[in-house]
Amino acid sequence: MRKYRSHWSQGDREGYQRRSNYYEGPHTSHSSPADRTREEVVTPTLPGHAATRSQMATSLDFKTYVDQACRAAEEFVNIYYETMDKRRRALTRLYLDKATLIWNGNAVSGLDALNNFFDTLPSSEFQVNMLDCQPVHEQATQSQTTVLVVTSGTVKFDGNKQHFFNQNFLLTAQSTPNNTVWKIASDCFRFQDWSSS
Amino acid sequence: MFPNSHLPGGHTDQVVQRRARCWDIYQRRFSSRSEPVNPGMHSSSHQQQDGDAAMHGAHMDSPVRYTPYAISPYNRKGSFRKQDQTHVNMEREQKPPERRMEGNMPDGTLGSWFKITVPFGIKYNEKWLLNLIQNECSVPFVPVEFHYENMHASFFVENASIAYALKNVSGKIWDEDNEKISIFVNPAGIPHFVHRELKSEKVEQIKLAMNQQCDVSQEALDIQRLPFYPGMAEKETEGAGPSSCSFLGLRGSSVTSAGEMDKWKGIELGEKCADRSPVCTTFLDTSSNINSILELFPKVLCLDGQQSPRATLCGTEAHKRLPTCKGSFFGSEMLKNLVLQFLQQYYLIYDSGDRQGLLSAYHDEACFSLSIPFNPEDSAPSRFCKFFKDSRNIKILKDPYLRGELLKHTKLDIVDSLSVLPKTQHDLSSFLVDMWYQTEWMLCFSVNGVFKEVEGQSQGSVLAFTRTFIATPGSSSSLCIVNDELFVRDTSHQGTQSALFTLVPTAFSSSVPAFSQEQQKMVQVFSAQSGG
Repeated sequence: MRKYRSHWSQGDREGYQRRSNYYEGPHTSHSSPADRTREEVVTPTLPGHAATRSQMATSLDFKTYVDQACRAAEEFVNIYYETMDKRRRALTRLYLDKATLIWNGNAVSGLDALNNFFDTLPSSEFQVNMLDCQPVHEQATQSQTTVLVVTSGTVKFDGNKQHFFNQNFLLTAQSTPNNTVWKIASDCFRFQDWSSS
Repeated sequence: MFPNSHLPGGHTDQVVQRRARCWDIYQRRFSSRSEPVNPGMHSSSHQQQDGDAAMHGAHMDSPVRYTPYAISPYNRKGSFRKQDQTHVNMEREQKPPERRMEGNMPDGTLGSWFKITVPFGIKYNEKWLLNLIQNECSVPFVPVEFHYENMHASFFVENASIAYALKNVSGKIWDEDNEKISIFVNPAGIPHFVHRELKSEKVEQIKLAMNQQCDVSQEALDIQRLPFYPGMAEKETEGAGPSSCSFLGLRGSSVTSAGEMDKWKGIELGEKCADRSPVCTTFLDTSSNINSILELFPKVLCLDGQQSPRATLCGTEAHKRLPTCKGSFFGSEMLKNLVLQFLQQYYLIYDSGDRQGLLSAYHDEACFSLSIPFNPEDSAPSRFCKFFKDSRNIKILKDPYLRGELLKHTKLDIVDSLSVLPKTQHDLSSFLVDMWYQTEWMLCFSVNGVFKEVEGQSQGSVLAFTRTFIATPGSSSSLCIVNDELFVRDTSHQGTQSALFTLVPTAFSSSVPAFSQEQQKMVQVFSAQSGG
């Protein structure tokens, strides 16, 4: 029995169905479906959420937030790692202006620094084996819709051996009446075997 | 207590600032790579030195940018670097001037000089080489100032048509090893031996002539637009001998179609090249072909009608390297202490055998989920299969109902879930902590470490974890968890199990309260077990 259906609007359900095309095995950097050439993570806006930050969001069922988080996370992971591997220069479009990255203990803050950082990082091949996500409690975010995304897998940077990695993101939502655009507020990346690299 | 969590010398705001400054320096050093003018220059290489000052000036001023092409072999990286110091600066060279040419044309004007270079000509005897070239060359030529520089042989000729005729010899002569010999042509400005012959007013004439040569509007036979130096195109390959070096135009490489050539217009290569060799290189695979091209022509972002797939992979990528991996990262000393204290208390309870004590650590509406990696090659159930049924890996879990069920919500549900997970002992000394986001309402940090299972079938097995906490300020300067994500994985690929679990009580930081007697007993018990 699907508990969720009763909470979904029609639009949500369509959006969910459309994304079922993505569902395959472990992610490798394959092309996103047809029209997705821009680097943006977009999901349908939840009802009542086309609101500015100062307005309180309507209190929807928790599971709706969970579903939204999953959608955002899946969409995001598809786009992020493909962009990282194949369109590195566009990667920072996925970050907020003041976003921060902690990369194996190195702190990078702000778009300029991020641009430089990703430019100097060798080319990459990511394979994501795990993805989990949670909606972040509004008490921590002051009602700014945020999703915690956790990924894990392997990465091969050119000229280096392959590493297992863990990566965490905080995605924040900017909602318009038509859609919600998600951007990275913060990013934490670690090789699992960093001490032996 | 958390030796891995401490930065050497402690982590103060000054360290943060210093680190930020170091990071600035790191960025600036490498951001210079984005300069389009001298793609062959690398952050650690010496400056480009071109002995022809006049020519250099012409490079800078003229719309035809020779600079990207005319990188002398002195600036080549890799195996030639040690010879870079012996570059031929024509101003300083002490070779006796050749008297065969006076530098003047019969009508008194100065001809245009060209430098002819034979890559790896150092292996060839001068006379033999010049004879070989002359035999093939359609016009007689008089080589001036024949010399070897680095691995190449060079000489000058004073005539555009002679230079062009020599260029046509490229690839049509072979040495005794049956290797093709190539010839490269470069406008040479005013060779030093000519300087010495001239009076100062003639230098001005020459400069004028040089500027004219650099004029874009030239006739069809435009020698200056021909591809030039071998050095700029070289791609460093380890242990590469001459036969595998890839100079521009070397070894009769095939080239793009005429349509492709158009894409190069914007970088002043010129579409009037009579032969096809200059454009492409003879790398073995497409990607490095593109790499070397990008190295030369950083303006090129699109090849073959699509964005260059390896746009970030430019040549030998001396500037692209992974940053050094560092230990724990904390935003501030105060928060560090807060987090470490929290972790110490959390895992004390977590490992105590009764996890109900964690109720006070969680927000009423907190979330928790657990995941393990999906490995398609995993056939046998692994040691962490007991986590499997609770694992919420939405990469493979598509069912929305299950996705909802496996995300634990409310502190009661969470602690109940935690209570049924295997009993553990965490190795605090293995903890690596990244504090990666903080606002006044929220603290995000991730803990990486290992733990041991202390009972059940897998007793003694060591697993690794990454746990991400999002917490808000709690009462009495504690943390209140709102989100908790636990990722558990095997350690077998690391092979570090035997080195783990070496708790050393004396390593505890003074900023964290000392262990109580009960805690110390646990430590002793645990240390005794750690031999296995």
